[in-house]
Amino acid sequence: MMNTSTEHYHQLARDAFMPQPGRIVEIADMTAKDRYFRVELEKPLGHRPGQFVMVSVMGVGEAPISISNGPGDDNTLEMVIRRIGRLTQVIHDLKVGDTMGIRGPYGSWFDLENFYGRDVLFVAGGLGLVPLRSLIVPVLAEADRFGKITLISGCRNPAEELYCDQLNEWTEAGLEVIRLVDCTENMPWQFGVGLVTAPIPKLKLDPGKTVAALCGPPVMYKFVIAALGARDVSYNNIYVDLERRMKCGVGKCGHCQINKIYCCQDGPVFRFSDLALLPEAL
Amino acid sequence: MSYYLATKKELIDWIQRLAAENQLYFPEKHGEASYRFNRVGPKSEIQFDRYIPTVVPPVKLLVPAREELLRFRTDAEGKTEVQPSLDTSFRVIAGVRSCDLKGISLMDLFFKDGVPDAYYLARRENTAIIGYSCNTPCDESAFCAAVDSLDHTEGADVYVTPVKEGDLLVEVKTSLGEKLTAGVDWKKCEDPEARRIGAVTARPEPFGRSFPAPLPDTMKIVADKYQSAVWEKHVKRCFSCGTCNLVCPTCYCFDVVDDLNLDAASGNRSRSWDGCMLPHFAEVSGGHNFRAEPAARQRHRVNRKFTYLPEKYEHGAVCVGCGRCGRQCTSHIDIFDIVTDLIQEGSR
Repeated sequence: MMNTSTEHYHQLARDAFMPQPGRIVEIADMTAKDRYFRVELEKPLGHRPGQFVMVSVMGVGEAPISISNGPGDDNTLEMVIRRIGRLTQVIHDLKVGDTMGIRGPYGSWFDLENFYGRDVLFVAGGLGLVPLRSLIVPVLAEADRFGKITLISGCRNPAEELYCDQLNEWTEAGLEVIRLVDCTENMPWQFGVGLVTAPIPKLKLDPGKTVAALCGPPVMYKFVIAALGARDVSYNNIYVDLERRMKCGVGKCGHCQINKIYCCQDGPVFRFSDLALLPEAL
Repeated sequence: MSYYLATKKELIDWIQRLAAENQLYFPEKHGEASYRFNRVGPKSEIQFDRYIPTVVPPVKLLVPAREELLRFRTDAEGKTEVQPSLDTSFRVIAGVRSCDLKGISLMDLFFKDGVPDAYYLARRENTAIIGYSCNTPCDESAFCAAVDSLDHTEGADVYVTPVKEGDLLVEVKTSLGEKLTAGVDWKKCEDPEARRIGAVTARPEPFGRSFPAPLPDTMKIVADKYQSAVWEKHVKRCFSCGTCNLVCPTCYCFDVVDDLNLDAASGNRSRSWDGCMLPHFAEVSGGHNFRAEPAARQRHRVNRKFTYLPEKYEHGAVCVGCGRCGRQCTSHIDIFDIVTDLIQEGSR
């Protein structure tokens, strides 16, 4: 009865749900279950620090994955993917030259304008270092525009530490890196033992001048924020990068909802003071 | 906008004519006491007067239980072609009550917002809706008047109101409605507003169940009672089965699933209904569940209807008062009772 042109809707569908092919150009094992992937896209991703992409293998599924490289105008996408389910198992089986589907980037980001001229404290727990790296890289690239730059990076045990070589390079480049494990589990380890909250009380920091960026497992945030609060760091200057289940990335599927907001659209990066009315956030 | 006065027979004949030429859905009795929106065939019974809301609301014809988003095929060189799958076939949904019309209007709002949803919008644009006004509450579960759904007519192309002396007031509200009614020889109605008001004032008062507080106050109370023993009270009987989500005219959360064909080179990606009452809805990889407790999930569901989505879309309640969740719940957990308890908590 009606003869609607369907091209408009096809375009909308492509814009929302069609992945672009990403060709894997480098794979490296980071730990026994975390693998680094460098992917070449057909066009620049145009992402900002803290954003994520939806990664898929056709016929297997799709999941939100953090972007690990800093913003740039080339076609590169770097990710570290933990083998934890069916899709990530298949991704771990991919080889250099294989393709995966990529759509995005999605979500809010760390705005460098909020960091310029300040001391910057990064707190990373486990895989949280992966998205934080997309901020650490551009901050270090312009290190003279910031004050003191510190990274507290913690993980369960020495075998689970990510970006070990990079942490060494950053240390040599003048970044103060505090490397911690919860427990050495009898493995060789020359750095500290303890939770990421442990160094905060003794950290040399100027609370009025410090801005902090946090990413880690859900349990980490409350404790780190309490420790920073005890050092008088303002909640306006604490940024958190949150994790949620996501199926669409475009504010529809409902899985990532935190009270009234959608983490995929309003997040994943939030100023902590903006979370006051969202009791489900942390 | 055209107005007619039609007889019941004229209206039924018209629906059957439309059904002969189009994919047309109408509530059909199913078993002893339930109704379903079924495709009307030559032998279907068209009976406008009495039916309780269908088990599944008509908006789910626009948001099917499972719908294909895309198809893919990988060739011998490993190159993958991906094509979106869109349903742009024309359909008519007739006999849609005001509560369900409001459900459709709300879905329009949700799916147009932000990144527009091509799949819903393509179906919606190719769907004609014939609404039907209620003169009496359908059963004791409904509370449409309490959430301002009773006189919702937006979204209908044609809206039918039974008026006195057995006539039906037919309002043709859109150009698509004009097309559907082209050629009808019904009597023109010269005084539609007076007729409509006559029908509305003849309704029982109160119409169905009502909250012990006006709607704006009710919504504020739900928002303020984030910490309340009421969230624990009803959920004690909850099996977390998600039926309330699946039958709700304003629930649209979905899961996304891939299927690989037997050739291992082609397949599809589809989305299917999901529900925030299901235990793993907010669980992330690694096992952390952001709403592990049933009470947290129930609070989320009720807040989505009365606080979260109303705030996001600057709209009144997103619960349409159809009563389906309470009617279908195995344990008779009713969102009306939960909200009523929140209002009465501490004030008794």
